[in-house]
Order: sequence, then structure tokens, then C-alpha cells
Amino acid sequence: MMPTPDLIDQLAAGLTPVRRLRSPMTRAVQWLLLATIVIAMLVIARGLRPDFWQCVLDRSFVVCTGASVATGIFAATAAFMLIMPDRSRGWVLFPLPAVAAWLSTIGYQCLTNWVAFNPEDMSWAEAARCLSTLVLASLPLTLTILVMLRHSAPLRPVSATLTAGLAVSAITATAMSLIHNLDASVMILVWNLGAASMVMGATGTIGRRFMRLAFTSADAGYV
Amino acid sequence: MPPSSTSRSLALSVVEAQETAPGIREVDWSILMVRAQGGDAAAYRRLLEEIAPYIRSRAAKLCRDPDEVEDTVQDTLLTIHAIRHTYDPSRPFGPWLVAIAKRRIVDRLRRSGVRRERETSLTREHETFPAAQSNNPAEAPERRALGLAIHRLPIGQRRAIELLKLKEMSLKEAAANTGMSITALKVATHRGLKALRRLLAGGEEMR
Repeated sequence: MMPTPDLIDQLAAGLTPVRRLRSPMTRAVQWLLLATIVIAMLVIARGLRPDFWQCVLDRSFVVCTGASVATGIFAATAAFMLIMPDRSRGWVLFPLPAVAAWLSTIGYQCLTNWVAFNPEDMSWAEAARCLSTLVLASLPLTLTILVMLRHSAPLRPVSATLTAGLAVSAITATAMSLIHNLDASVMILVWNLGAASMVMGATGTIGRRFMRLAFTSADAGYV
Repeated sequence: MPPSSTSRSLALSVVEAQETAPGIREVDWSILMVRAQGGDAAAYRRLLEEIAPYIRSRAAKLCRDPDEVEDTVQDTLLTIHAIRHTYDPSRPFGPWLVAIAKRRIVDRLRRSGVRRERETSLTREHETFPAAQSNNPAEAPERRALGLAIHRLPIGQRRAIELLKLKEMSLKEAAANTGMSITALKVATHRGLKALRRLLAGGEEMR
């Protein structure tokens, strides 16, 4: 172990000017803008679901989509707050009410659509299109949020990546519900919950490794 | 390094401030951090030197081992260095610093807890040395006898034995080292070993 005064000398000698991070709110808004652009581009490329205008009149669809949008917004805000050392750890709870609302509407839709479920509705071509939307929406959003959150490495990597993953999955689910006509309960469950947990899991593992890497390479010169 | 006029005036203002109001130190740290973010190495050094004792006292409350306390201080300083751009000057410096220090202290405690559960520390019996020190106490008298015997050899033979057998040099290296020819070294080693055998056998007979 090197003596602490020597370490201080080394750190001071290697000091470079840094650009301060913008406020967490600003950064959350920036990322959400990017998310809006991604969804808009997907909608333009794929088109809205055929029964979109009917759905808008359906209360449960509106509530569900609203809840997933809210989850995305709150979770992104929480993630950007959590990487600031002096902000409360309690931010991790911030998206919970929206998550609860979102999950309960999915559950409600399952219940109401259970009767309408018909195995023939599940076509593999549609499933493949869904998967591609899922990847196209979640990949750029995951990568950008991880890069933006890489500073969280030394402090709260787990809660930051978890909330980031939640934000990505909520936004992705919103995109899915705008584009794909998936009213069958199993599909909703699989895609919404499955996609959410998949994206969250992937973000969690990749994110932690990525952040450890980013952190160790950042101070490799001093250790 | 002579202090620049800015850091001297800053130091003065720090002294004045410390005398005038409590808690003002935090404001100074905040100012120093802002300068450090701008690349002012002197301000940064001052800041680190001032906060190190503070972190140490916090860590010392929870860790007992002084080495661990020092490790925690260094971890915290490294973390501060890595994420110094997350400090926002419009917010107080104290909570920012405390949050980082707390995190590193908790990490250290967790790690030392795991280590205590899984590892046993080495005692003297476990120690072993790569150098020629005695690793096996039972060998010590023999080693001493060999040393004495080598010491009693004529100088040429002694050097040949030391270089070729104890330091395990090659003939070429030993020749370059002593200036003796390779043949002469071989002869000296042969004679030296013979003499040693005689000496040690004689020693045993004496015992």
C-alpha cells in the first residue's frame, strides 16, 4: 500500500479539468427525448397497430399505456438521481407507484382478455416482428442510458442499473403496445413482463460488468 | 512547490472563514472542489489533504485495523477522483463527501467480514522465504556447518562453490564474474566439493 500523502500527490499531479455533469433532471429529460425519438421512428417505420384508434377509446388501454409511460419517466429520473452521490437512496422507490399501476393494468387486461384468447391469434411472423421491435427499441435505449449512468459505478451500481432497466422496459413496452396488436393475454404477459424482466436482467448483468470496467479503467493509472 | 498567490489568498480566506463561522469549512471544500474541477492541481491537493483526516476519523470509528482505515481513506480518495465531476457546486459539499466515504467504509467492512469468515491469517509456522533464510528450523545447524566448511576452503575453491553451487550461475557467468577460465573453475569446483565432503565428514566424526 502506498502512503496516503503519495497517493494525494499522484492524484493531484494527474488532475485534468472535468466537465460537470448536468443536473439529473436535465439528463433524464435528454434521455426521455431520445426515447421519444426512437419510438416515433419505430412507429413511422412499422405503422401504428391497426386498431389503434379503437384502443384509444378503451379505458384500460389508455391507463396501461399511461402507466407504462409514467413508469419510464419516473424510473429514468430515479436512475439519474441515484448516480449522484449526495441524492437520497430513496429515489429507488420513486417509480414504484407507477410500476404497481402498470402491472395491475396488465393483469386486468389478462383477466378480461382471457376469454377472448385464441391460440390461432399467435402467429410466428407476428411474434418475430414483435421481437424485432423489442430489440430495436430497447438496444439503443439501454446502451445510451448505460453510457450516461457509467459514473454510478463506484456508488450504487445495482439500484442505478435496476431503475435504468425498468425505464428501458417500460418505454419498450409502450412502443410495443402502440405498434403491435397483442390482445391475447399470454402474449401480453410474455411480452410485457417477459420483456421487462429480460431487459432488466440483461441491463443488470451487462451494466454491472460494464460499469466495473468503466470504473477500473478510469482509475487504473492510480491503483 | 511554492504556493501561488491565488492559493495563498485562498488559504488566508480559509483561515479567516474558519475563525468566523462554524461549518464554513464545508464551503471552502466546495470552493476547492470547484477549482479542482477546473483543473487547479494546488486546490485539489489542498482539498484532498484536508478531507483525508476527516475521512480517516470517520473510518476509524468503524474499522479497528489501522491498515484497513488507511485503505478506506485511499479508496474514498480514488472514488472522489473518479467521480469528481458529479459534484454540483450549487449543493453542499458535506453530504456528497459523506455519501462516498460511507459507501467505501461499508464496502471495506463487508470485505473484511467475508475475509474473516473464509480465511485464517498466516502464523509464523506458515511463513516461508524465497531467500536463503531458514525455512525449516531443523535444517539450520546443517546450514551453519556447511557455511563454516565453505568458509574454510581456499579462496579460489570457495568462490567457485559459491557462484556455481549456491548462486547457481552457469560456468560462463561465473567465468565472467571471477575472471577465471572455465577449466580452472571446473577444477576448483571439483576440488572444493571434495574438500567440503572431507570437512563435513570430519565434522560428523568429531560430533
